Amino acid sequence: MRKLTVLFVAALAASSLSCNRAAPESTDKPKIALVLKTLNHPFFVDMRRGAQEAADRLGVQLEVQAAERESDVEKQMQIVENMIQTGIKALVITPSGSREIVSALVKARDAKIPIIIVDTRVDEKAAADAGVHTETFVGSDNYEGGKLAGGYVVKATDGKARVAILEGIPGHETGDSRLRGFRDAVKDAPGITIVASQPANWERDQGFNVFQNMLQAHPDIDTVFAASDLMALGAVEAIAAAGKTGKIRVVGFDALDDAKKAIAAGTMDASVAQFPSEMGKIAVESAVKAMRGEKLPANIVVKLEMVTKDTVK
Amino acid sequence: MALCGVLWALTPHFLTVPNLLNVAQQTSINAIVAVGMTFVIVSGGIDLSVGSIVALSGVALGAALQDGQALPVALAIALGIGVACGLVNGAIISWGGLPPFIVTLGMMSIARGAALLFTEGRPVSGFDPLFRSLATGHVGGVPSPVVATMAVYLIAHVVLTRTTFGRYVYAIGGNEEATRLSGVSVRFHKTMVYAVSGLVSAIAAVILTARLNSAQPIAGMMYELDAIAATVIGGTSLMGGEGSLAGTLVGALIMGVLRNGLNLLGVSSFLQQIVIGAVIIGAVLVDTVLKRHRN
Repeated sequence: MRKLTVLFVAALAASSLSCNRAAPESTDKPKIALVLKTLNHPFFVDMRRGAQEAADRLGVQLEVQAAERESDVEKQMQIVENMIQTGIKALVITPSGSREIVSALVKARDAKIPIIIVDTRVDEKAAADAGVHTETFVGSDNYEGGKLAGGYVVKATDGKARVAILEGIPGHETGDSRLRGFRDAVKDAPGITIVASQPANWERDQGFNVFQNMLQAHPDIDTVFAASDLMALGAVEAIAAAGKTGKIRVVGFDALDDAKKAIAAGTMDASVAQFPSEMGKIAVESAVKAMRGEKLPANIVVKLEMVTKDTVK
Repeated sequence: MALCGVLWALTPHFLTVPNLLNVAQQTSINAIVAVGMTFVIVSGGIDLSVGSIVALSGVALGAALQDGQALPVALAIALGIGVACGLVNGAIISWGGLPPFIVTLGMMSIARGAALLFTEGRPVSGFDPLFRSLATGHVGGVPSPVVATMAVYLIAHVVLTRTTFGRYVYAIGGNEEATRLSGVSVRFHKTMVYAVSGLVSAIAAVILTARLNSAQPIAGMMYELDAIAATVIGGTSLMGGEGSLAGTLVGALIMGVLRNGLNLLGVSSFLQQIVIGAVIIGAVLVDTVLKRHRN
């Protein structure tokens, strides 16, 4: 019994910590859930900022939740189930897995909650098989982004390069589209050879290790394309460790603040800029429209931009 | 109970039937893995490979189903792989005389690597409704994962408390040398303990795969830590020799209720990790203090 008493105290301590966060629950504002892949990535932190600003402006309450790890689909599913219980009026989600998330979306559909997908698409066939209808997809066209990066490499190297690619987690729609775009853009340049392509699972430390290994196997690599900036920044460090800074062209994706600094400093060449806070903003605006029963276009494309030394701010 | 009371007071959404069934379903996977962990820890060992075994059994199951195998065959393959991994763990620990920490750490990496190699890193997804009903179906209004959890606990509880095998598990954890000298085949029984852990990990893999409609080679990361937490919150001593499955079930439920409650309250995901960590330390601290008091 005494064990329970102490647990009670522990829970009380926990809940008092959260009291000020739970306070807005008493208001009558309609509640929208924003379920992110993770919050330990600047991309999603920016997205949350944009979403929060839009929510404040439109007078809706935004509940933001994320799994601890980006690939934890089961946890994300639990969060969706829990959010449905709190009576949310719309679900805005960046799926951790294009197919796996459909099981969670089925539950939102059963609760008649409109679904807005952001950044990573849901697998169309899986969604159709399960009878899940999403209101809209808000995001950049990752395929076009990959093409933009590929086109930049062709131009910057005059069509002659030995390229290494750092991939995201295999099976992720986002990374796969970027790679497809990149490959399509460089395939017509006969002087460009892709000598290595390996996953570094979106992470900086893995980007370092994987690229270091690639350099060991192929010392003649002169260009690296990473499907995300964190992996590109890992590669930048690996290049520095090998004493080859400035000799290898690094092109990333996302235009994170750290990457912009690296571009300004000349250790990185370019990065495809997405606008996550814009995505967050448009997603929340769309959610509010969906709550009112307005019809939305199937896709809302958020612009992309190539950031280079000349354009970096 | 007290924890539920607090959450009920704080949020009206907690104490509703759909939400409680929710919690029970979300807890089932961790609860089942923790059954094996309890056997292992009571015997004085540790099993770090459970999460990777979940992934490996899961992808084997997924691949077998997509290959058109009948459901019982696919299930047998998945459970067989779980048991096989456990047997390898147990055999090396018993006959090789290596510490369980090292052996299962190695198996954690081997099973994960095998799952990734086998699938080339890609998830295997899309299964028929019959298989999915293992996670989405109901038996008399109760979701099937919850039914499976109850069944596993009932059987495991009987094995641990009513059979000679169960008594030997406690004896080995209490004093391995004395158990050996009294003529018990310690090596055999220790090996079986890890086989049990592998088996229940595979059962958890079946439910996870059916729930997500997908078998991921990266599934189950950190499950070992959740299972260890549930076991020690439930009062099982890491020194071995004492503990109970009822305690472990309560431990798993406490973790599930906490996660669910913190979600309902809209607590930031960073703060959630701090709270869960504090509860783990707090619960074990209380247990230790109470035991010292009694002695």
